[in-house]
Amino acid sequence: MPPTDASPPPAANIAESGSARPFEIRRVRTRFLGLTLDECIQGFFGGNAFVAVIILALITVFLFREGFKFFPLNQDNLRIYRAAGLEYVQHLRGLDESHLALNRYLQDVRLRGLQAMQVEGVPAAEIKARLAPFDAWTNAFGDAIDPVRGLAGEMGDLSVAAKEAYQQNEDYKVARDQFLAAGKTAEAQAIEIKEVDFAANAAVLRGLLPAAREAAAGASAVIEAQLAALPVFPVAELQPRLARFAELGREYLATYPAALAGMEAWKYDQPVSGLEAFQAFIFGRQWTTASFWQDWYGIVPLFTGSLLISLIALVIAVPFGVGAAIYVNQISTPREQRLIKPTIEFISAIPSVVLGFFGIAILGETLRRLSGWEGLSWLPGFPYAERLNALTAGCLLALIAVPTIFTLAEDAINNVPRAFKEASFALGATKLQTTLRIIIPAALSGIISAVLLGLGRVIGETMVVLLCAGNRIAIPDFGLGLSVVTQPVHTMTGIIAQEMGEVVRGSIHYRALFCVGIVLFLIALVINFLAQKIVRRYKVSVG
Amino acid sequence: MSSPLPDSANPFAPRPTPARRLEGAVSWIFRIATYFVLACGLSIFATIFWKGSATVFRAEFPFVNTAFFTQAPETLYVFEWQGEKREMGDKEFRVFREAEAAKAAAEGRPAPVIRADSYAHSAGGIFPNVVGTVLLVVGSMTIALTLGVCAAIYLSEYARDTAAVRLIRLAILNLAGVPSIVFGLFGFGMFVIFFDWNVSLLAGWFTLAFMVLPVIITASEESLKAVPKGFREGSLALGATKWQTIRKNVLPYALPGILTSSILGIARVAGETAPIMFTAAFVISDRLPWQVEKFSDMFFQGVMALPYHIYVVSSKIPQNEYTERMQYGTAFVFLFTVGLIALTSILLRNKLRGRYKW
Amino acid sequence: MDSTATASVPRSRPLATPPASSAGAERGATLIDIKDLDFYYGAKQALFDINLQIPDKRVTAFIGPSGCGKSTLLRCLNRMNDLIDGTSVKRGAIKIRNVDIYGRDVDPIELRKRVGMVFQKSNPFPKSIYENITYGLRIQGVKNKTRLDEVVEKSLRGAALWDEVKDRLHESGLGLSGGQQQRLCIARTIAVEPEVILMDEPCSALDPIATAKVEELIHELKKQFTIIIVTHSMQQAARCSDQTAFFYMGKLIEFDATHNIFMNPKNPQTEAYVSGRFG
Repeated sequence: MPPTDASPPPAANIAESGSARPFEIRRVRTRFLGLTLDECIQGFFGGNAFVAVIILALITVFLFREGFKFFPLNQDNLRIYRAAGLEYVQHLRGLDESHLALNRYLQDVRLRGLQAMQVEGVPAAEIKARLAPFDAWTNAFGDAIDPVRGLAGEMGDLSVAAKEAYQQNEDYKVARDQFLAAGKTAEAQAIEIKEVDFAANAAVLRGLLPAAREAAAGASAVIEAQLAALPVFPVAELQPRLARFAELGREYLATYPAALAGMEAWKYDQPVSGLEAFQAFIFGRQWTTASFWQDWYGIVPLFTGSLLISLIALVIAVPFGVGAAIYVNQISTPREQRLIKPTIEFISAIPSVVLGFFGIAILGETLRRLSGWEGLSWLPGFPYAERLNALTAGCLLALIAVPTIFTLAEDAINNVPRAFKEASFALGATKLQTTLRIIIPAALSGIISAVLLGLGRVIGETMVVLLCAGNRIAIPDFGLGLSVVTQPVHTMTGIIAQEMGEVVRGSIHYRALFCVGIVLFLIALVINFLAQKIVRRYKVSVG
Repeated sequence: MSSPLPDSANPFAPRPTPARRLEGAVSWIFRIATYFVLACGLSIFATIFWKGSATVFRAEFPFVNTAFFTQAPETLYVFEWQGEKREMGDKEFRVFREAEAAKAAAEGRPAPVIRADSYAHSAGGIFPNVVGTVLLVVGSMTIALTLGVCAAIYLSEYARDTAAVRLIRLAILNLAGVPSIVFGLFGFGMFVIFFDWNVSLLAGWFTLAFMVLPVIITASEESLKAVPKGFREGSLALGATKWQTIRKNVLPYALPGILTSSILGIARVAGETAPIMFTAAFVISDRLPWQVEKFSDMFFQGVMALPYHIYVVSSKIPQNEYTERMQYGTAFVFLFTVGLIALTSILLRNKLRGRYKW
Repeated sequence: MDSTATASVPRSRPLATPPASSAGAERGATLIDIKDLDFYYGAKQALFDINLQIPDKRVTAFIGPSGCGKSTLLRCLNRMNDLIDGTSVKRGAIKIRNVDIYGRDVDPIELRKRVGMVFQKSNPFPKSIYENITYGLRIQGVKNKTRLDEVVEKSLRGAALWDEVKDRLHESGLGLSGGQQQRLCIARTIAVEPEVILMDEPCSALDPIATAKVEELIHELKKQFTIIIVTHSMQQAARCSDQTAFFYMGKLIEFDATHNIFMNPKNPQTEAYVSGRFG
């Protein structure tokens, strides 16, 4: 409404017509701060509407406010990792860890062999005898790494000590500053701060490099010899696994020169750039916290976990959601519609924590039992042992996604102009032909955006994944093909919910969780943006 | 006609063509998919109702487990006593142990050692949790409705297609897609830390209100838009101001719709766990919310809430026959309440849709 | 009357004075003077250079094909167009009793109390008949029950609806038939005693019998009110208006006594339209 003006009308204008009842349409409205009452009311409502913008801005501000300091902290974290020599020693530790993984492979083969022989009914003593040469060989293989492990432990102690000394100093500095700020000079001076001499520490560590070379050379020689003399496994079917093991072993040996070169190239005082700190978060493949060695805040395992679960959920939910939408809109009777639509809406009202509880209490165990059923053993990953895994969570999330996808897809199908359908029928097409060839293509962009919003719903869901996904922080092993779905994973939403309550406010871990929140927030915005964009294009195309 | 048909043949008679059979089959696939979804949802309801009803209901009068609804959660102690198995809540167990010790002292023998297995949160009831949830819902819905309805009035009645309005609409759309855990983080960062409210009702109220705001705005705007334009024009043409028009001739007719849709918002607020995990919820709190020294303290205390309680009992406590009862009982009560709210909303809305045809 | 007093206490404007007694206004004298009016919906010009003098206490009909601007002009007269985004009067003026209604100090709310409007689709509020009629007075702050009762009866009689509804004044206005609803809307409008009543195709949704009743009512009303009616039906314009304005493509083509427009149009376009060759 255009504002009326404040100047009072001249009295002369009104009486002009000579009418007994003046045509009085001018008036001065009461004003507060230069606004009429109506404008004030409008301003009040407008202000309320603007709250939405403010909230979005506040979310952004507070997430970044708490989260952004993570990067400088992580930069420092990485700098100490390098300066104290942990990076240097990690090369040796890495060799040890990979060796351990190979050992586990051998143990797995042994276990399978043992079970196979038990099934055959071989007596225990006989089994032991048959496995003896393999065990001897395995032990020799296992011992081969000992010199490397010992040295790595020794060097590791040195660098951890340097790191801890540094961190203690930092704490002292904070305490001293607090005393100074409080005006307690005496207490402040009582705190003794000894700067850690990283250079000296680095020199000592470097001095051990020849020893490391020697140990590595020794280990690799033994391992190579062992690989050349593979034993014959008592169960013939498992022999290919040993061959595969030899292959893996050679790959492992090939990493030795790189590890040693890495140690050679280590410079304790090489600065860590901000970009590295950022990359360590975005591309970091480890999320390790409260570790005695080194904390890593890499989002990749959480992101892949979220992605895997969401994909499982969508693979299940899209056919059901879209199928149900087509059924309700095109095939069902009006009576069925009146039953199905409210019921699906009702399903969407099930609180996610109840679904999560259902997953823990019933679905996880049911699915695990089902996976053990022989008729289903052809499915990838079946049978499996972990009750809570990506599949359990994915199934429940599908139930959350179905109502979203159903409602939006049904809307999209409903919005296809009647004329399209009628024209198709008039040409003698069947209902199915019309649906598949006319209606679905016309509603496709609406359906795609429905699926996208379903994805947004699923990827942001917390309680179900927290309770049912198994919470193992590791990148799922996609090398296993489809059976990856039966692995336990951890997710971005889950990690925030799980760890936020336990972290120290302001610590690097706390800030890392906020950074995960930022990533989630951005993902949600992108999904929303894409969905809207697709819908907008669709509106144009239909007219 | 090039191919004359016999007189008796009806050229329009349905013929079992392959296309027809395919259509039948595909219809059935869609039908099965649809009903499978319904069956999944309903089976979850059924399971939890079935298992939970054992905790919630009683065979004799008053037919519900009053202790379950009136007591606070307690630790359950299970032990063997004089050859029979006994189960006791924390308070009862302490009294029992002291009584036995006193008895033993009176008889001049050493106090008996009772070896009991303890199960956290597996005895008592869920009264404080229900109270906490109700408080959270009432407070956050009050905030969300006030803000949301006013915002919807602006968008539906005043807003023109300006850059600011487009910005508001964009913000609402995006707000609707923000994951609830992000709202939780935000609430934690802003209310708990920056405003220094700590884990409190107030922080939970605002976090939940902001989360549900887009739902309320969208629903309210839809209801306001459903009021015919003629009501507004008619009123304005009689010389009513815009505000008079809205107050007397738009809001009263939109109100039922607004309230109905808001009930769905209640279901959402009551059901969410992630936003209150670090803003408002306590695992255990000894006092009820109104047992405070001064009135204003009430808003700055955390509360126990049903959804968070379910999370705690299902994730932190191993499942066995003793813990299961409370778990299913709580889930039952919670699901039943939320379901009832949602059902009310859905039914009322369908009824309203039919009634208001101007 | 002291105009400043009226301005400061606008809602206490006395309503008792019946419009008929506005003795000074000479019947047939120019009431509304539209000069050089250019009107825009955003960037699109809807009215081109309209010049029109509408006389007092007469019925003026606006006719023309769809989209010719007749409804737009009508809605300019009580500034209902203000409610639509991006509308603007770019040039020219509309004066009612010599007051420029687009003047900076004019309050559109006050204007609409004096220039009432009846819409194409009858829009009674979902309240009782009584509440419908008294709505306009109540928002002006009139609370006196006797006054309200009086006005209800007078307005309903004025709209020839009294006998039909006097026994069910407190039933919903939505329960009336279409024609009754439209007459209720007219009664509602005259209850606030405007000087001008704008009618935007008031009979387009009515059957012939109801239409006849409304037309009869228009005939009665013009004794007290100046009426401007937009209509699609040329017969209706011919039956109930004194002057007729013919619009085409946003321009006023011809304005004359109704008789002349239909019997003896000067402009060939008018002739083509009234003889049914287009539109």
